[in-house]
Amino acid sequence: VAAETVSPHALCSFSFCSSWLPQRALLRGSHWQSSLLVLRTSLPVRAQPKKKKKVDVKREQAQKDRMKKKIKKLEKAAPELIPIEDFITPLKYSESNRVRSLPTLSPEESERRVLLLKKWCFFKQKQDEAEKKAIKTLVESQQEALKELRLESEELYQAAIRRDEGLFPFERDGPSYTPPLPGYDPPEGKCVDITKVYTQ
Amino acid sequence: SAAARRPWKLFGAMCLLRLPRITQPLEKEEEEMAALMGQIELEKSHYSDHEIRKLEEEERLKRRKESLYDEDEAPGKTVVMAQDLEDKWEQKFLQFKAAPRITDADKSNDRTSLNRKLDSNLMLLVKQKIGTQELWLLPQVEWQPGETLRSTAERAMATVLGDHIQAKVLGNAPYGIYKYKFPRAIRTEDNMGAKVFFFKAFLQSKDLSQAELKADYLWVTKKELGDYLKLEYLKKVNRFLLD
Repeated sequence: VAAETVSPHALCSFSFCSSWLPQRALLRGSHWQSSLLVLRTSLPVRAQPKKKKKVDVKREQAQKDRMKKKIKKLEKAAPELIPIEDFITPLKYSESNRVRSLPTLSPEESERRVLLLKKWCFFKQKQDEAEKKAIKTLVESQQEALKELRLESEELYQAAIRRDEGLFPFERDGPSYTPPLPGYDPPEGKCVDITKVYTQ
Repeated sequence: SAAARRPWKLFGAMCLLRLPRITQPLEKEEEEMAALMGQIELEKSHYSDHEIRKLEEEERLKRRKESLYDEDEAPGKTVVMAQDLEDKWEQKFLQFKAAPRITDADKSNDRTSLNRKLDSNLMLLVKQKIGTQELWLLPQVEWQPGETLRSTAERAMATVLGDHIQAKVLGNAPYGIYKYKFPRAIRTEDNMGAKVFFFKAFLQSKDLSQAELKADYLWVTKKELGDYLKLEYLKKVNRFLLD
């Protein structure tokens, strides 16, 4: 550490010690020097506190900036993707003892299957065509009604083509296999949800 | 208004639908296809934990029968086998009795009941006096100036079923129209005929015990409409009914 401000005590001790005189053993450089044999190792401490503050403040600032830069880098990196549990097959299901042992298909069976698939294709096509035709007639019927209404009165027509705000969202429970049983008492129980929740 | 009064009378009619409560029975092709899909799924699958446990226990039973000494299991310990579990589940299932799909109303063909034909849409028909005749038709009421046609249809529904009925009307626009001319006896220049505009609504209240039904009414499916409605009227109504 270079001394920026040198006290007059230090100066005179320096000039004295440069010439190796025996008087040196009896005299000390300054009253701050505690032992006779040791060269001054501790300079008067008046200037030190000021230097410590500045350097430390600078050092601490530099450390903080480095930490902030690191944090920014980590944040910029893309967030970890949440694994989709359905797509990951657990390893215990790929063991060989799990493979089913079934007899192979006979040619008649595969023939029957192919013919059934073709029949199904045709059935579904007819069903789809019927549905589309029904929707088309419905739309045509509505257009005809609106046309007749317009001939009657413009005001009623405008009221009819206005959007119905209360219609959507429309919710309805779908049909079940059997109708609800009147007076049925469902068994008691608690449902515990054990799905794993991931945070990004 | 300054425009000439049109010679047509306007009526608003409501087609109230009770939506199906149970699923429709599968067609023959659908059943065959469902069986085939199940078989293919079984062939492509692997053994589940339950099946592996069953196979291992069968193996163990076989070995115990063949060999003369017990293996590592102490004789006093009772082990629950997978087969026992399956039997228990089967018993429990057989104890449960679900509601029948074909109700009493179906068997007696009580057409005024809502519990009939739970797998199809049911429509409300009422007997109203038109001119001199009593006809079966969808409830209708004459339009009055100052209301939209949709409110006319809602009023028609309220006159037949009472005010506390909950129904979701599907939009402001009419679904169909039936136009007819009055018979020559009453037809005049100003009064040629009538236009009936049909609106569709889904019935949402669960039961109609509170409804005060004044006129004769029926709940019928689309196929049974032909038993009650006139031909021309039926043709127009069938166009906007999906079934």
